[in-house]
Amino acid sequence: MERIVGIDLGTTNSLIASVDDTGPRVLADADTGQKIIPSIVCFLDNERVVVGREAGELARTQPLTTIRSVKRFMGVGMEHVGAEDRQRYRFVADATGPVRFAIHDRQVTPPEVSALILRALRDQAQAALGEDVHKAVVTVPAYFNDSQRQATKDSGRLAGLDVVRLLNEPTAAALAYGLNTKEEGLIAVYDFGGGTFDVSILRLHTGIFEVLATNGDTRLGGDDIDRCVAETFLLDGLSPEPRRDPHVLHAAVQVAERAKRELSAADETTLTLSVPDRGVAVSRRLTRSEMDAAVEETVTRTLAPCRQALADAGLQPDDIEEVVLVGGSTRMPLVRQRVGEFFGRTPLTDIDPDEVVAIGAVVQADTLSGRRRDMLLLDVVPLSLGIETMGGVMSHLIERNTTIPASVKEMFTTAVDDQTAVDVHVLQGERELVQDCRSLARFKIPIEAKPAGVPRVEVTFMIDANGILNVSASDLRTGIERSLEVKPSYGLTDDEVERLLEESIDFAEEDVEQRLLIEARVEADTVLHATQKALDENAEFLEEGEGERIAHAVRQLREAHAGEDYDAIRDLTEELSQITSPFAQRVMDASIQAALGDKRVSDL
Amino acid sequence: MPTTSPARCPRCGHEHAPRPLCPSCGAIRSLPSDTDYFTVLGLPCHPVLDEAALSATYYALSRGLHPDLHETGTPEEQRASLTNTALLNRAYRTLRDPVSRGRYWLGMHGEALGKDNNRVPAKLAALVFDVQEKLAEARAAHSADGTDAPAELEAVRGALDVQVRGLRGELEANFSRWEEGTESPALLSELKRVLSELAYLGTLTRDVEKEVNQPWNA
Repeated sequence: MERIVGIDLGTTNSLIASVDDTGPRVLADADTGQKIIPSIVCFLDNERVVVGREAGELARTQPLTTIRSVKRFMGVGMEHVGAEDRQRYRFVADATGPVRFAIHDRQVTPPEVSALILRALRDQAQAALGEDVHKAVVTVPAYFNDSQRQATKDSGRLAGLDVVRLLNEPTAAALAYGLNTKEEGLIAVYDFGGGTFDVSILRLHTGIFEVLATNGDTRLGGDDIDRCVAETFLLDGLSPEPRRDPHVLHAAVQVAERAKRELSAADETTLTLSVPDRGVAVSRRLTRSEMDAAVEETVTRTLAPCRQALADAGLQPDDIEEVVLVGGSTRMPLVRQRVGEFFGRTPLTDIDPDEVVAIGAVVQADTLSGRRRDMLLLDVVPLSLGIETMGGVMSHLIERNTTIPASVKEMFTTAVDDQTAVDVHVLQGERELVQDCRSLARFKIPIEAKPAGVPRVEVTFMIDANGILNVSASDLRTGIERSLEVKPSYGLTDDEVERLLEESIDFAEEDVEQRLLIEARVEADTVLHATQKALDENAEFLEEGEGERIAHAVRQLREAHAGEDYDAIRDLTEELSQITSPFAQRVMDASIQAALGDKRVSDL
Repeated sequence: MPTTSPARCPRCGHEHAPRPLCPSCGAIRSLPSDTDYFTVLGLPCHPVLDEAALSATYYALSRGLHPDLHETGTPEEQRASLTNTALLNRAYRTLRDPVSRGRYWLGMHGEALGKDNNRVPAKLAALVFDVQEKLAEARAAHSADGTDAPAELEAVRGALDVQVRGLRGELEANFSRWEEGTESPALLSELKRVLSELAYLGTLTRDVEKEVNQPWNA
């Protein structure tokens, strides 16, 4: 049996796992020993890309062509993209169907970006295992709708991977924990990741993992916390111009993210935002309680889905015997506290919240490859599925939290004589009106021309074990299977996938290290230049001893600049920025004062 | 009544009632999609079921049928696994809840609940009126000055709960009487009344829950 790997394709980080004699384990990069590949893709030009940690480094200088958190854009259209994202990236404005990034001279869809991450993961696994990898179980948020799942499957195809199963992330975590916990019981999995939030309620019963209900928000995650911290504590005081600048936004979010992580352990930290060529220098202290107050609302937003999932399962919070925490955002003390209060018990955190989903994915891969039969997962569809009926109302065919695979048959006929086709609009969501639900696809049922009401075509809606909808039709009068051409609302067509496979982008062959060195030097030059200029023009604003400290930092940076260690150059650049930050602030305040002064003079 | 005529297993040749897995050799076989839910689960066609036994049967069948365990099978096996599991899931979902089970069972006897299901059942009129009023008040209070009304809504939900529990008791009693062989038109119409009222209360409870789960009431 061919090996099937498990992949956690996360918003922020991605991991790949495999099973060996000792059990499931996450595979590390053969050279660096790093397991995590940050889900970041930098397009250097029209042909070459860099994926992972190095792409994250390049993002500092190329924010518009570096895509982070691409998972937020999977299976959605431009109408679902928020204002902040529109500032951070360039999109093909008039695109219908899936979101398209405008990068260099190309249009790039989210599944293509994800495919590049999948390829990087596969390469890492192949190097670690010493064999080719063709098949994978890939995890998705439980609350992903059909379009988002389809987009994930498409990225697998584009990466040349056979995605044998899409597995819900909280369920994967339950499987990973199920390896070493008790046989019977009700558990809740609270999965707060970089960009998505899921909660699933499961019943464990001698190896069967039955999902009773799931809920969530596919646009709520650690990213929102970072943005909130960046907005509240870094960007709030800036003038409108730099606030909208992608370089500044990018840097602010990075600073916020680091501070958030530091505040998981420490009570206080320093925020330093310095973008010299945009005239931005902010430095301030931030305590954990200040941050908690600012992000409280975001964290509280996760509790409504918890309540709904419990209600759907017909349970109360204290019925839950075990709470499992998954996802990097659950490292925040505030999150642990709120979850603990809600369920009235201390959550489990034994398995690394970053690795638990990938481990669960490979446990399921082991079942699918026929190597283990002691565990069985009974998962559910997270959102109701239906079709548009008269008056723009959605008629439910399959209710949310129905165990998958699930199928339902609907009979279609004609309303007027000699009608040759019936249009069907497939929707997903809980609201009554079509306009409030997500459009999944449209298709036409071809029908023989007959008097109205005579034709009888039976359409089967089947949600498979991946949570993906398949439709088929048969003519009950003739017994002939009808083929349907389904047009996905936000997905890639088969033709498009084929075309993309032919013209796939290559990984950059040039030495990324060299490039990073060049960029680090360029950045150092910018800061050195700005520092020199400020010293030449505004030396009067220097405080006692400050000049010497700056001169020392400048000397150190110049030394590193002559060497090859880009990390050192970057660190020292950062240090110089920090040291000059209060000075820059004073110079800026003075120039604003001067500008105002000028104005008053001219007004006179 | 749907047919339950015997079928022959293509693998071992054993003849038996249509089952998703051959009782002799365990081969998976595609059930006709109109197989009734009691037959799918191999249970007697009866409105009273031992719910623990139902779950146990469902889990056992899932262990044999689920697509995850047939991923390495032939395309035909995979197809049968998928359609049978979908049918099994639907059967279990319908039969595990006494109300949907009762309605399904009535339907099998050609006694589907009428289309007048949306009319307020006479016995519930006062309660329905009260609930609608409380809901309207809660919504108005929130939109007027942002006042939250979780306590009142909880009280409404409690009242509905009591009513539902009472009706479920009546339903079980009626099912049992049916079991004792007292099949009469009067009993049938009594069953239909109880099921209609439960269906109506189900919708009402969902409305109240929707309101309770609004962020400002949570």
